[in-house]
Amino acid sequence: MKILTAEKIQKTFQMGEVQVNALIDTSFSVEEGEFVVILGPSGSGKSTLLNILGGMDTPTSGKVFLRDVEITSYDEKELTLYRRNNIGFVFQFYNIMANLTARENVELATEISRDPLPIDDMLHAVDLWDRQDHFPSQMSGGEQQRVSIARAVAKNPEILLCDEPTGALDYETGISILALLKKVNLEMKKTVILITHNADIALMADRVLKMRSGEIIEDFTNPNPLSVEEIKW
Amino acid sequence: MVNMKKINTMLLRMILQSKSQFIAILVIIITGISVFTAMNMVAINMQSSLDLYYAQNSFPHFFIESTGFPENETKKIKSIPGVENVTGRITLEGRMLTEDPNERVNLRIKSTSSNEDSLCTNTLMEGTMNLKDIKDVLVIDQFAKARGIKPKDKITIQVGGLQYTLNVVGTVANPENVYMMENAQSLLPDSKSFGALYVTETFAQWAGNLPGSYNELLVKMAPDTDADILKDKLEDRMEVYGLKQTIDRENHLSNSVLIAEFTNLDTMADSLPLLFLIVAGLILMMMLGRMVKRDRMKIGVLKAIGYSSKSVLLHYVGYALTAGVLGGLTGSLAGMALAGWMTRFYLEFFHIPVFNIEVYFYYIFLGITLSTLICIVSGIIGARGVLRIAPADAMRSDAPKAGKRILIQDFTKFWTKLAFSNKMVAKNIFRNKKRSGFVLAGVALTFGMMLFTNSMSGVIDQLMNKHFTEFQKMEYNITFQKPVDSSTVYDMTYLVDVDAIEGKIEYPFTISHGNKEKTALILGLKRDTQFYELQDSDGNPVSIPNKGILLSKNLASALGIEKGDSVRLKSFIPGREDVYTQVRGIIKQSLGMSGYMNIDYMGDLLLEQNLITGVFLDSQDDKLNEKLIKAPNISSVMSSEASRAVYDEYMTMMILSIGFMVVFSGILGFAIVYNATIVNLNSREMEFSSMRVLGFTRNEIFRMILKENNILLIGGILLGIPIGTIFAGYSGAALSTDIYNFEMTPTFWAFILSTIYTIIFVTIAQFATYRKVQSLDFLGALKSRES
Repeated sequence: MKILTAEKIQKTFQMGEVQVNALIDTSFSVEEGEFVVILGPSGSGKSTLLNILGGMDTPTSGKVFLRDVEITSYDEKELTLYRRNNIGFVFQFYNIMANLTARENVELATEISRDPLPIDDMLHAVDLWDRQDHFPSQMSGGEQQRVSIARAVAKNPEILLCDEPTGALDYETGISILALLKKVNLEMKKTVILITHNADIALMADRVLKMRSGEIIEDFTNPNPLSVEEIKW
Repeated sequence: MVNMKKINTMLLRMILQSKSQFIAILVIIITGISVFTAMNMVAINMQSSLDLYYAQNSFPHFFIESTGFPENETKKIKSIPGVENVTGRITLEGRMLTEDPNERVNLRIKSTSSNEDSLCTNTLMEGTMNLKDIKDVLVIDQFAKARGIKPKDKITIQVGGLQYTLNVVGTVANPENVYMMENAQSLLPDSKSFGALYVTETFAQWAGNLPGSYNELLVKMAPDTDADILKDKLEDRMEVYGLKQTIDRENHLSNSVLIAEFTNLDTMADSLPLLFLIVAGLILMMMLGRMVKRDRMKIGVLKAIGYSSKSVLLHYVGYALTAGVLGGLTGSLAGMALAGWMTRFYLEFFHIPVFNIEVYFYYIFLGITLSTLICIVSGIIGARGVLRIAPADAMRSDAPKAGKRILIQDFTKFWTKLAFSNKMVAKNIFRNKKRSGFVLAGVALTFGMMLFTNSMSGVIDQLMNKHFTEFQKMEYNITFQKPVDSSTVYDMTYLVDVDAIEGKIEYPFTISHGNKEKTALILGLKRDTQFYELQDSDGNPVSIPNKGILLSKNLASALGIEKGDSVRLKSFIPGREDVYTQVRGIIKQSLGMSGYMNIDYMGDLLLEQNLITGVFLDSQDDKLNEKLIKAPNISSVMSSEASRAVYDEYMTMMILSIGFMVVFSGILGFAIVYNATIVNLNSREMEFSSMRVLGFTRNEIFRMILKENNILLIGGILLGIPIGTIFAGYSGAALSTDIYNFEMTPTFWAFILSTIYTIIFVTIAQFATYRKVQSLDFLGALKSRES
């Protein structure tokens, strides 16, 4: 069953004095429970696409549907509720709150959620139970990204959107984060959409969308996704 | 803490992280609100204490002076409709004899009745009020304190040429002598040289040679009585007993000065704190504006998680709200404590023995509300940028600002000669106009306030010098007990060695114009007087006209009079009709308010020809006081030096209250400059880090910022000159009273001192810059995506 559908998405930016066409007639759909990787080089428009899917940005034209409901017609209040209840974000630079502990960062999200998951379970799931009272400055990049994932998942969203989640991490840590995301996908039945410029990561996806210059140039299903441990870069 | 929402935990930690700035804002708010609460409560407490004092001691509505009326007349007057109560008494002028033959101590001796419902009763301060013996006396407290007189002491007084030794049985306070002044001429209390005694009726009638009579009628009006109609009735009734003057409660010297003091307090209570709150609000606006810019990413993430724009905005407004509530609450409580202390201080200063100190929760509520509202509004304005940040935009770097040429680049000759580092300094200043503007405004405001406060002491000194050397030039001002023939001037030259002498007429009159009236002193001077140098407001000399009157500027303003207007002069001399005369000029006068007339014209119009009430003289005679003290008809001998000393003492009190303002201004100035500098630094962390990577040393970066700040400092000082001058002018007008008239033009030294103080404040703030640059973690800053 389709959980997310994008129809002819177009996005134009004004960057200072320059106009940038970030997305050109982009259409695709994502099935419920899929692990989708959007692959593309820097500037290909993948982050813009993710932001539009997550209700963080609106397209210049085109539509996005969550199941049958068009989210691109939402007003600001509805978009806030959409982000709050349906979407979990994981960012490249973690973006966790510097003046909150690991646990508090997760609580920050669960406090506004309709149906949050137990915080203790989440901290165990991301293997941060012992580090729950540490502040970000006392944690490694990998640990911070785990907090970020815990924060995103604890809200119990249907879809997890991950923007280069391993981009700032070393190989080992990156692999552990990917494993965690796969676990969330399989065990918690969350749809995961991950964007990356690293082609090797695409090997673990159920589906891959390749982007270049604001367009999807390839959309294929991976018949034999690799396990995370098999990925090397 | 356990149940606190995490967004509020973030707020709390945000406050803790910026605690020095938060405390600086709190200090401003607390100062403003405590002054607001304290002064308002003091004003109310003072007024209610005074009202209670007046009620308890039956302070009359009218004081009617006459040459003498029979005792039983009081009963008849009491039956006049509108009169609630009356008391007759005797008031005599006298002198106290001291060990120093040169010292003149004037006394007002009043009879006191043992009757329980009599008016204007005393409050016992020490000893007893029971006057058993005819020679027992009660001494007014402030005079007793000033002269060290205690119960059981004996004092020798002289009344009508006869000396009496009296037994002091107690010291008392009286509502008619809260602000104890000899007469309208003195305008300032001098407790050591003038006092009041309360004696038995028997003694007063004997010493005043008024057996079975009184010479003053005190009247308490019944509620809902028309004061003017009653006053006319009473004056008609007393006319036959040689009515001298009627003073109603509003014009009673002591009462009117007190009311003026309370009004000043009220004005200060409303204007000063508002300035503090506006400054706190501006700082909050600037801080939050900067915070929102700095926290762009954080705001984006919060919105991405699902927080609404409103809740994120409220998170930042919470910072301002916390400052407002905390500052308002602490300020109100501090103000409440301060109010009790200040009221006691004021009551003691004014010798009001009745304390009615209450806590007015309304002002505490108002203080908190005012502070909270101003902070919320500032918070919303400062943090409104939150609403504009779209979460996706926050995830992207800011587009670089469009580069622009700055104004001074058009001056190519100058620009090309500038060193590269100086070009950077200039570009930095002009690049962020808002930021530079705030530092500039902060320095300008600090300098302006410093200029104003430094002008105060200089102006007071200038005012004294001007009045006692340039305006008034006599060495001695001698007043006779009764008007005498002008030939007395020549008699005086036989009494003392005189360098120069002139007769004068000096009388209080009620001057009215339209529906406004004011009681002031009118001086009759020789046309070519050498003892006064009168000038108009432009500084041009003004000579005494043959006819008409000159008025001091403050008197003319109070009555809404312009040159050429006609005024009515109401005399207090018995049997005199009101007269009209034309205002021929308005003159500058810094102390007191008066009118000036040609002595001959004044004699003709208001008194009798060839009469004088005193003389001005210059003399090198060392024994002048000793010689004149024996002269029976001399009421007072005042040297310019002594007059100045009285003013000096009074001004000391005023300087004390100005001192508070100086401290407050300092706090305010420092807080502005400190916060502006810190915000400026925080917003440029990335820029400085990039410079460090390029190879600039910490000291080179510091020197560059120093240059920027110094240029803004100079600009701020220049901008502060008109601000301070306007502020001084406004404050001069606001602080001027009937007693002194400030024309606050800042002096050269005020400019110098203000510049030094401002430089000190900015330099202290520069230490923060230095510390920041020295502790700059440039790698850390560059790693962060937030700048």
